[in-house]
Amino acid sequence: MKNLTRNHIVVPHRSERRFYGHGIPGVDLEQLAGKLIAVEGADGSGRSTQIAMLVQWLEGCGHATTQVGLKRSTLVSEELERAQEGNILSRTTLSLFYATDFADQLENIILPALKAGFIVLADRYIYTLMARDMVRGMDEAWLTNLYGLALEPDAVFYLNVSPEELVQRTFAKNAALDYWESGMDQGLSRDMFDSFMKYQTAMQKTFRRLQGTYGFTIVDGMRSAQVINAELQKKISVVLAGK
Amino acid sequence: MKTFAELGFPGRLIAVEGLDGSGKSTQIYLLKRWLELQELKVYFSEWNSSELVKAATSKGKKRELLTPTTFSLIHATDFADRYERHLVPLLRAGYIVLCDRYIFTAFARDVVRGCPPEWVRGIYEFAALPDLTFFFKSDLEVSLKRILDGRPQLKYFEAGMDLHLSTDPYESFRIFQGRILEQYLAMSTEFNFLVLDANQVVERQQGVVRELIAQKLSLASFHRAERPPPKLPAEPHKKPVAEEPVQ
Repeated sequence: MKNLTRNHIVVPHRSERRFYGHGIPGVDLEQLAGKLIAVEGADGSGRSTQIAMLVQWLEGCGHATTQVGLKRSTLVSEELERAQEGNILSRTTLSLFYATDFADQLENIILPALKAGFIVLADRYIYTLMARDMVRGMDEAWLTNLYGLALEPDAVFYLNVSPEELVQRTFAKNAALDYWESGMDQGLSRDMFDSFMKYQTAMQKTFRRLQGTYGFTIVDGMRSAQVINAELQKKISVVLAGK
Repeated sequence: MKTFAELGFPGRLIAVEGLDGSGKSTQIYLLKRWLELQELKVYFSEWNSSELVKAATSKGKKRELLTPTTFSLIHATDFADRYERHLVPLLRAGYIVLCDRYIFTAFARDVVRGCPPEWVRGIYEFAALPDLTFFFKSDLEVSLKRILDGRPQLKYFEAGMDLHLSTDPYESFRIFQGRILEQYLAMSTEFNFLVLDANQVVERQQGVVRELIAQKLSLASFHRAERPPPKLPAEPHKKPVAEEPVQ
């Protein structure tokens, strides 16, 4: 066991923090010593694999980590799940429901963890939520104001995988396409395969657009998990060193 | 922001606003009865009443999980659900929709809780303005007395206990409601509130409400269409269509 001496553990460099918009009332940004890293991408883009590998690596390097993801809040996750199953909520309602879920995790998990100096890994962040709504025709200015409550992460990686490859990966796992990930609520096509392709293509286009505003890193997700993770580690090391 | 009339809806939305215990719910109930007895198309909707969202809200309140931000968002979710699924379709169908509390409740409460006013207003931008908004202006003491007469204890969020204004719920309620009143008064002109003296007796207030509505709406145009007596449904277990909406 080498690398276990104190000298090898890097203390993350403090960086300046900001909320995207109005933020959360009463939060002292100076106190948020930890790092927030978001991984974005469609289902099947390899997000969970990459996050699991990052946790291994970060903990090996002596950093405490915590994970968050969509629909995991204590407050509304169950209700949100039920609403989605029934497909009974209208667009604005669903959007606000997701925002509530996000805000609950931001205030109860992300901010306290950052305050305690943890590295927080977010399995999807506000960009997926915004992209889904934008694809469905919601007003971008309205979404920008709504998600102005979010903290700007230290790094955001978008795992870019072609819709064709996403289909193959999904079928290798499930033999069925997911209703929402196929955008079936939008009536793009009655053929689920067609709908999936159209929806995922639209989502990618929207992500590229959001990238222009939020400047996240687009990662080629078509390579092997190890190669991708090596790239992420390299980029995260730079963030931790504050370069 | 425009009213439903300005947006060309055939229906009209009437909202009541005021402090807890201002008597606005009694007034809107009596208004609803009056309109119903004239055979008009009326629908009533209450703040924080969407079935699905309500479960999450009451869990959040019971376990005191809510922060000012999530409190605001969950109420916006509830409102959006009612707005998109009930209010808008009914207004399209030419109903008089009565709302016990509307977006101004959020504007007042969320801001008192510390949410940025522009953020809150931005969230509710999808909603049109009411065609008439009655504001029941009551003295704090009168509101406090009405709440206490009806219930033995003040509720945690109702008293604004989450803001830690005072450890005494009554004192907290007084301060919290006082601040909400300030917010309401500041919005009064901007949103053309029709201000009513809520310290008066029930009948006198209702008299004013009915008079104003009769003046401002052509009530006759909201009559229920003459319908033939309901036919026997083809399938015995199915409800006949075009029933009155469930309330």
